[in-house]
Amino acid sequence: MTLVGTDVRRSEDRPLLTGRASFVGDLRREGQLWGRVVRSHSAHGVLNGIDVAAARASPGVVEVITAADVPDARIPIRLPFAETPQSTLALQPLLARDRVRFVGEAVAVVVAEDPYLAEDAAELVVLDVHELEPVADTRAAAAAATLHEELGVNVVNTFALAYGDTAAAFAAADVVVRETLRMPRDAGTPLETRGVLAEVDDTGRLVVWGAAKVKHFNRDVLARLLDLPPERILLVEGHVGGGFGVRGEFYPEDFLIPFLAVRLGRPVKWIEDRREHFVAANHSREQEHELELAVAADGRLLALRDRFSVDLGAYVRTQGVLLPLITLQQLVGPYAWDAFELEGSAVLTNKTPAGTFRAPGVTEATFVRERMVDRAAAELGLDPVELRRRNLIPAGSMPFRFDVGEHAPPIVYDGGDFPAVFAALLERAGYEALREDQRRAAADGRRVGVGVSAFTEMGGIGPWEHARIVPLADGRFCVQCGIASLGQGVQTVLAQIAGDQLGVPFDAIEIDHTDTDTVPMGFGAFASRSTVLAGNAIALAAQDLRERAGPGALDAARLAAEGVVGEGRFEKEAPSFSFGANLSVVELDPDTGAVRVLKHVVAFDVGRTVNPTLLRGQLAGGAAQGIAAALWEELPYDEGAQPLATSFVEYLLPTVVDLPPIDVVVLEFPSAGNPLGLKGGGEAGVAGAPAAVANAVAEALGEAGARVVELPLAPARVRALLGD
Amino acid sequence: MKPPPFAYARAESVEEALELLAEGGEDAKALAGGQSLVPALSFRLVRPTHLVDVDRVRGLDGVGADGDRLTLGALVRHATLARLQPDIRWRALPAAAREIGHDAIRVRGTLAGSLAHADPAAELPVVALALDAELVVAAREGRRTVPAADFFLGPFTTALAPGELLVGATFSAPADGRTAFAEFAPRAGDFAVACVCVGIGAGWARISVGGVGATPVRAPEAEALLAAGGAEAIDEVATTAARELEVYGDRTADERYRRGLVRTLTRRALAEALEAA
Repeated sequence: MTLVGTDVRRSEDRPLLTGRASFVGDLRREGQLWGRVVRSHSAHGVLNGIDVAAARASPGVVEVITAADVPDARIPIRLPFAETPQSTLALQPLLARDRVRFVGEAVAVVVAEDPYLAEDAAELVVLDVHELEPVADTRAAAAAATLHEELGVNVVNTFALAYGDTAAAFAAADVVVRETLRMPRDAGTPLETRGVLAEVDDTGRLVVWGAAKVKHFNRDVLARLLDLPPERILLVEGHVGGGFGVRGEFYPEDFLIPFLAVRLGRPVKWIEDRREHFVAANHSREQEHELELAVAADGRLLALRDRFSVDLGAYVRTQGVLLPLITLQQLVGPYAWDAFELEGSAVLTNKTPAGTFRAPGVTEATFVRERMVDRAAAELGLDPVELRRRNLIPAGSMPFRFDVGEHAPPIVYDGGDFPAVFAALLERAGYEALREDQRRAAADGRRVGVGVSAFTEMGGIGPWEHARIVPLADGRFCVQCGIASLGQGVQTVLAQIAGDQLGVPFDAIEIDHTDTDTVPMGFGAFASRSTVLAGNAIALAAQDLRERAGPGALDAARLAAEGVVGEGRFEKEAPSFSFGANLSVVELDPDTGAVRVLKHVVAFDVGRTVNPTLLRGQLAGGAAQGIAAALWEELPYDEGAQPLATSFVEYLLPTVVDLPPIDVVVLEFPSAGNPLGLKGGGEAGVAGAPAAVANAVAEALGEAGARVVELPLAPARVRALLGD
Repeated sequence: MKPPPFAYARAESVEEALELLAEGGEDAKALAGGQSLVPALSFRLVRPTHLVDVDRVRGLDGVGADGDRLTLGALVRHATLARLQPDIRWRALPAAAREIGHDAIRVRGTLAGSLAHADPAAELPVVALALDAELVVAAREGRRTVPAADFFLGPFTTALAPGELLVGATFSAPADGRTAFAEFAPRAGDFAVACVCVGIGAGWARISVGGVGATPVRAPEAEALLAAGGAEAIDEVATTAARELEVYGDRTADERYRRGLVRTLTRRALAEALEAA
């Protein structure tokens, strides 16, 4: 009986459910001080001075630092392929030095005996700012005041991807649809805000708690900034309350708090409050697309043109200019276009810097493309489901590739059966019956809409992962690997894989990923890579261990005594693509504009399922985030680039009361890109959800549906679209 | 989001509370359920120098019906109000209480807290205005009653003077009165974008609206139409209420949208009040 493919209960849950988990907020070190970050209220200005005298004199205050006290360094980009010469001219400083560029930017840190006193003192820090014209959106950015003098412009880079003869395709088209579509600024919003606790221990080692996601990179960056050898720094990961892309990317506080611990010779703790989180932790998603779609009278999708901009906020963060790059890769989706011409820019504005948020690029790309596909269907008088059936790349055409010229790698769909997954979606949804229900509802005067979406999602990004398997004297096996847990159950999944590979029970496996000592090198948890990369590295390590151990069942105690260890490194050059689709049924209240989702189904090809329950949880949770993006979430800024949503009063997250049960259909067409056949599953739930909900709302709106071009579809907006 | 410094004292009685409030001076505030005050403290939106905790004062949680009047003590929790199952005359009260936040908030939040906080979108002030509530205010000099129409002066501003404590409210409705409450919020438990309380009986008509201005407001033209036309005139009454009121708008809900909500909610509340009449 294998573990992979079965519903093994999560090993992580006991401490979480019994209140014995240790999140960074639970940790307490003797003699610890509390840090409070002072943040800019100005969106754009010259920072002439910071007066900290009153703060220093405030009760319980031990230290106040500003840019003058820290190195004049910038936070580097983590992904080499997302770094350009221009991007390095707009990196984020550790504390604002002579300019402030977004509301929420860190300008000073107050350290005091308790967090209340620290906050009291922080209010006394006075900034002398000469206000500059703020750049509030990407449309204004090109012509407006430049944010970074060295860069000289606010458009960091523009990337293009082209295939075939687009001009000819548009000329020959029977119908061309044109539209400008926008996705608003959203944020991953994990339930646990960020936090860092740092202490120099008795051996002189700097220990930092609160790490997550990309510990190794962060440790190396911290070492460079503090001018310490990396081995003198230990980053420890405890329990983590969600990441979604936000947590773990090196932020100023990841330097400032350890720096203060070293400077003061005492432990320093910082726990971000929710207000801070809304302005200081990465935002995402904000994109504007000008699209044109060419289609033939028989419904064949011919060509796609898109010019889009990604709002990066005030600085290029650790993910560099990744966002326009991965959006470009996922715009074409699961259709066999004759041609396409795509161009995307990374643009700076005076807003919170942007990073990746679960299913980055693909969510935005799917929303805009699938709305256009529905618009094309409407123009042709075709059922949107039928239009997709006619255009999904068939299984017989796999592997399918778009050669996009010399300057970019080809887009290759290495396998899968898109039409089969789409059909499975419709079958689970009971599509025919849904249309019947819809007809009956319409006869009753109810406004019900059905919407679908289809997408290809890039995942399993390399370049590699390392794993080591260490047999223990007690008969168990310790598996060490460089990924990270963000609460998504990765320990359980990897233990299942390890158990099967070693031929031992689930309980004989211990997964150790928690600190940089035991696991020297790794790339972290992002881009749905944990299961794919680490899982395959573990398989190789297991193979290595078996070879060293000789024939027969593995005897951990004997191997431990002999010091035998298995090592494996899995390399992955190109990403894999998997396919998914969503179906959503909504009902509109024509009086209030309120949208209620009656039903939502997610279908996804995962390659090979490791833990069905965990996977379903990932897909359903992702779909919930996608529905939230469609109907509620938005981080608006006013013309002065002042943020308007800085608490949960303004930023609306739905609860279980507001959402329908989410149905999940999983199919398995093993990936040819790795020996275990795995594709990632952590993000796919989000990718197609906003598009399906938006398409459903558009259908329910009837003719006015063509004007569904931006999110969220909040009641007031829907009501306005309904007109009188 | 830690509160600014404050001194704290707990009162065992109304008299003690009044003493402590006086001692604390102008910037002393009463704390009951804390469901509005504690978040405001955390956001540092208010900075009282003294908090006088009245949450355990006895004798302020009574619910008493007496003919055409219903008296509620200051510390009646929203959860208690929400569980009441009165006849149609007082139905608007539990209906409104059920809309306040979530269970956890309702278990602690109090009637006086809601009325004294005077959020322009809050539910209970709207009902208080519709049902001609008489609010009982205690001061060291003695007690006075303030009609709801004179109590709500502006956003988060009431007729309570520093040192005074709201100790109860008495609501009125005629014997044949039928009341209802309707609200629209973006998610379950959210603050209302707009809310409406209606009352109708022989020669008695009340339409009170929240979320459209600085305080809850009545719609006199619509009330007159309602008194004259009854059930037949629901649509016209709703349209009139939406038209006659001063309605503000903001980024999430503009004026036009709010007027539409007033119309929809008035119609729904009236339909409910008159159901099986």
